[in-house]
Amino acid sequence: MQAAMPRKQKYGFGKLWAVFGGVLFLYLFLGFMIFPCWDTLKSIFTAVEGDPFAVIRFFFAGNMPSFIWNSVKLAIVLVVTVNVVGISIVLLTEYFDIKGAKFLRLGYMTTLIYSGVALVTGYMFLYDQDGFVTKMLREYFPEMDKQWFSGFGAVVFTMTFACTSNHALFLRNAIRGIDYNTVEAARNLGSNPFGVLFKVVMPTLLPTIFSLTVMTFITGLCAMSAPTLLHYDSINPEIVRLAGAVGAGDDFSPEGRAALLSIILAMFTVALLLILNHYEKKGHYLSVSKTKAKLVKQKIQNPVANVLAHIYAYVLFLIYMTPVVMIILFSFQNWKNVDGKILDFSQMTFSNYVGVEDALIPKSGARNAGKFRTVKNAIIGLFSFDKTKDSIILSFILSAIAAALVCVIVVLAVNYIFKHKKAKSSKFVEAGMLFPWLLPTILICYSYRIYFKQNLWYVFGESLSSPERMRILLIAAYVVVKLPFTLRMIKASFYSIDDELEEAARNLGSGPVRSFLRIKLPIVLPSVLAVFALNFNALFSEYDMSATFANTNTQTLAMVVKGLTETGNNSSQFNQAGLRCAATVLIMVVSGIILYLVYGVGARDLAERLKRREKRRRFFARITGRAGKEEQAKKLA
Amino acid sequence: MIRLEDIVVRFDKFEALHKINVHVKEGEFFTFLGPSGCGKTTTLRTITGFIQPAEGKVWMQGRDITNVPIEKRNIGIVFQSYALFPTMTVRKNIAYGLTVKHVKRDEIKQRVQQIAERVNLTDDQLDKAVSQLSGGQQQRVAIARALVTNPTIICMDEPLSNLDAKLRVNLRNELKRMQREFGITTIYVTHDQEEALTLSDRIAVFNNGYIEQIGTPNDVYNHSATDFVANFIGDINRLDEEIVNRMQLSPGKKHYIRLERIGVKKDDEGKEDKKDKKDKGEKKDKKAKPGKALKLHGIIESQEYYGLSVKYSIQAAGQTLKVVEKNDGINIHQPGEHVILRIDPEDVMSY
Repeated sequence: MQAAMPRKQKYGFGKLWAVFGGVLFLYLFLGFMIFPCWDTLKSIFTAVEGDPFAVIRFFFAGNMPSFIWNSVKLAIVLVVTVNVVGISIVLLTEYFDIKGAKFLRLGYMTTLIYSGVALVTGYMFLYDQDGFVTKMLREYFPEMDKQWFSGFGAVVFTMTFACTSNHALFLRNAIRGIDYNTVEAARNLGSNPFGVLFKVVMPTLLPTIFSLTVMTFITGLCAMSAPTLLHYDSINPEIVRLAGAVGAGDDFSPEGRAALLSIILAMFTVALLLILNHYEKKGHYLSVSKTKAKLVKQKIQNPVANVLAHIYAYVLFLIYMTPVVMIILFSFQNWKNVDGKILDFSQMTFSNYVGVEDALIPKSGARNAGKFRTVKNAIIGLFSFDKTKDSIILSFILSAIAAALVCVIVVLAVNYIFKHKKAKSSKFVEAGMLFPWLLPTILICYSYRIYFKQNLWYVFGESLSSPERMRILLIAAYVVVKLPFTLRMIKASFYSIDDELEEAARNLGSGPVRSFLRIKLPIVLPSVLAVFALNFNALFSEYDMSATFANTNTQTLAMVVKGLTETGNNSSQFNQAGLRCAATVLIMVVSGIILYLVYGVGARDLAERLKRREKRRRFFARITGRAGKEEQAKKLA
Repeated sequence: MIRLEDIVVRFDKFEALHKINVHVKEGEFFTFLGPSGCGKTTTLRTITGFIQPAEGKVWMQGRDITNVPIEKRNIGIVFQSYALFPTMTVRKNIAYGLTVKHVKRDEIKQRVQQIAERVNLTDDQLDKAVSQLSGGQQQRVAIARALVTNPTIICMDEPLSNLDAKLRVNLRNELKRMQREFGITTIYVTHDQEEALTLSDRIAVFNNGYIEQIGTPNDVYNHSATDFVANFIGDINRLDEEIVNRMQLSPGKKHYIRLERIGVKKDDEGKEDKKDKKDKGEKKDKKAKPGKALKLHGIIESQEYYGLSVKYSIQAAGQTLKVVEKNDGINIHQPGEHVILRIDPEDVMSY
C-alpha cells in the first residue's frame, strides 16, 4: 500500500512531532509502568541478601496462602451470585413483561451512581450491628446475632448487588441487540417463552456473559473496600496493610510479601485476560449496537410463574433501593436520630451538609439525670468541616485532572493508531496502553509508593514520594489505571469516522491538524466526554488507590468517608454517621448529574440539538412577545 | 482538459492500473464504467491525488499536477457516502472549503447562498443538521460543497449507489440537469451500465486495470470494441455454432447479438401438431446467403413481462435466444407459441 500513498507533505514538522511523541510515549511507558513494576517484582528476590527465595519460603510457610484462598473463594462465589442477580435484573427489565419495569430499572441501576466505600458504608448503615435493618429484624427475632453482617457472607452479599453495573450496561446492550425475528421464529415453531430464552436468547448472550464472568472474577480477586470495611482477609487489604508496615521493623520483609501477593494477583489477572482475549475474538464485548427489529417483551403465561417473577423482581428492587433511600433520608436527620436509626420526618435538618452546631447531651451519672451539657461545635456539616470539605475539593481536582489527561493522551494515541493502522509502532503504542490491564490497580499504586521513594534521574533527580508530591503520583496512578478502559472505548468511537470524511476535508483544503480538530474530534467528542465522565465518576469516589498511598496529602473523599465509620458518641464529633450519609448523597448527586449529562445531553446529535435550540428560541420569543411581531412581519411579507 | 498519460499504480506488488491513457475534454461528462475491482475508482483517486501513481503523469489544463498535493489541485469530489460532516449544519458543510481558504465571511455567506439556490436547497434546509435531510437532499449538499469552491473539474464516485432504485433514477436526471447548467467538466465513476449510458457524453470501460474502450454511449453499446464490453454492457445473446454456420459467419470468432435486434413474428403455420411441427420446423430452416438476414423457426419457452417491454426466451436452432420486444399490447406471445425469428448480419458483433 505504501508505494501508492501520496507523498508526505514537505513540512519537517510532522517528523519532529512523531519523534517527540515517540520519546514521550517511551518515557511514560518505561518510567511509569515498566520500571516501578519491575522493581516490585525484583524486591521479592532481593529482600533477603544472598537468599533469593527467602520471601517465597516464608510466604508459603506462614498464613499468606490463606489470603489468596480467601480471594479466590470470594471470586468463585461472586461469579455465581453476581451472574444470577445480574442476568435476573436484565431479563426482568428487558426480556420479560414485568409490570413497572422502567421503575425497577431505576433501582437496579443505582449501583452506577455509587460504588466502593460509599456503597459498602451504605450497606453497613442498614445491616451492621446498629444498622437500621438489623435493629428492625431483632425486634422480631431477638435471639438473632447482632454482628451477622461481617466477614465472608457480608462481603458476598454486598458485592453481589454492588457488582452488577456491568451487567446492567453491557448485558442490556446485548439483549437489546437481539434480532426479535429470531424470537418470533422460535415461538412460531412451537417454543414457549422460557424455551426461547434458553435455546435462542441465551446462546446469543453467551459471549457477553462470559466476558462479564471474567470481569466479575477479577473484581472478586481484587476486591478492596468491601473486605476492608467488613473485615474479610483477602489479598488487597493485606497488601495495603503490608505496605503500611514497610519500615516499621516488626514484620518480616513486608515489602517482599506485598510484592509477591501483588504478583500472584497479577498472574491471575493475566491468565484470565488471556482467556477472555482468546474468547473475545469469537464474540464481542463493549459493543454499542443499535437494534433494528426491537425486542418485544415476553409475557410469562403461567400465572404462578408470573407472580413469582414479579415478587422476585420487587424483592431485588427493595435490596437495591433501600440503602439509597435510607442514606438520603438519614442524611437529613439529626445526629441522635441517625445514631438511634430513627426516622423522624418532623425533624429534618441540613446540619449534616452545612453549618456548625453545638450538641446537647445528657450528663452522665445518676445525679445528673435530666441535666444536659453542651459540647461545642460537635456537629459540623459536610461542606463546613475542613476535613471533608478539603477531601471533596481534592478528589474533585485530582479526578478532573486525571480524567482529562487520560482522555487527551488516549485521543492523540488513537488518532496516531488509526493513521498508521499497519505500522508496528502503532501496535506497540496500543499494547503499551493496554498493559496496565494486566496489572492489578494495587500493584501499580504499591509499586509507585515504594519505587518513587528514591531520587530518580528521570523525574529530575527528585523523589516523588515526598508528602507534597504524593498527589502527582496519585494522578499518575489514576491516569495509568484508566488507560486501558479509555483506549478501548475511544478506539471504538474512532471506528465510526468514515475514511472518506478525512479525504473530503483534505480535498477541500484542510491540513491534517485542521481535519483532526474540525472534523474528527467533533465526531468522537461525545464518546470522549462520556469516557471522561465515567472516569471522573470512578475516580471521584475511588478508595483503593489513595488507600494504598495512605498519605495525609492524598486524603480523598472515599478515604475520609471510610474514616467516618465510627458512631458519633465515641469522638468529639457527633454526626459522623450523618456526615457519611451526606457524603454518599454528594457522590450520588455528582455521579447522577454526570451520567445524565453523558447519556442524556451528550448523546444528542446535531439534529436533536438544533431542534431543541429552535424550541428554546420559540419559547423565549413567546415570553418576550417578539413572536407576535415576527409573525406579523411574515404575514406582511 | 484533464489527461492521464501512461498511468501505472501499484499496491505493493499488485499492479492495479496498467498504462492508463484518458483524455477528458472541457465541459464533458465522462464516465469510468466497469465491474468492482477493475481500477475505475483507483483511476479517479489518482486524478484527485489520493493515490500517487508509480509511473505516468496527470495533466490538467496543460499543467503537470502529478505531484501537486490533494488540497492544491482544485478538484471537487462527491463521495460515495457523500462524506458530509455530521457535526456541522448544512450551511457549515458547504462553507467548509471556503473557510479553510480564509475567504471573507460576507463572501462565504453570499457564495453559499448562491450555490444553495442553484442546487435547490432552501434556507430552512441550510440550517438543518445533515442527518435531517433526505438522501436526495444530502446529495445536493455534497454537490454544492464540491462546487462552491469553483473547482476546475468535479469527480463523483458512485454517488447514487447508496440510494433506492426509484430515487436513483430521479437523482440521475437531476445530476445531468445540474451538470448541464453548471457546464462543469465531470468525471463519474459507476458500475451501473444503465447509469453510464444515460448520463455520459463519453464512457471509458475498465476491466482488470485496463481500459477496454472509450467512446460515446452509442459506440460502446452498438459497436462494442471487445468481447468484454459487449458482455458487460446491456444483455446479449451469444450465437452458437448452428446459427454461425447458417449465417456463414467466420467460425473462429465469437458472435453476439443484442436482445432487441432479433425480430420476432407469429408463425401461423405452426398451429396444428406442435411436437411434430417443431421437428419439421427446424428442418425447414435454411442457410442464409452471406449479407442477408437469417430466418429461424422457434418456440417461446418463457415470457417476462416488464410493462414497457416483454422479454422472451425462445428455443431456436438448438439454443435459447433472449429477445426483447416493445409491448404494443397486441402481439404478445405465450409460452409454447411458434414464432419466426429474424437476425440481420449487420447487427451481429464479432470478436
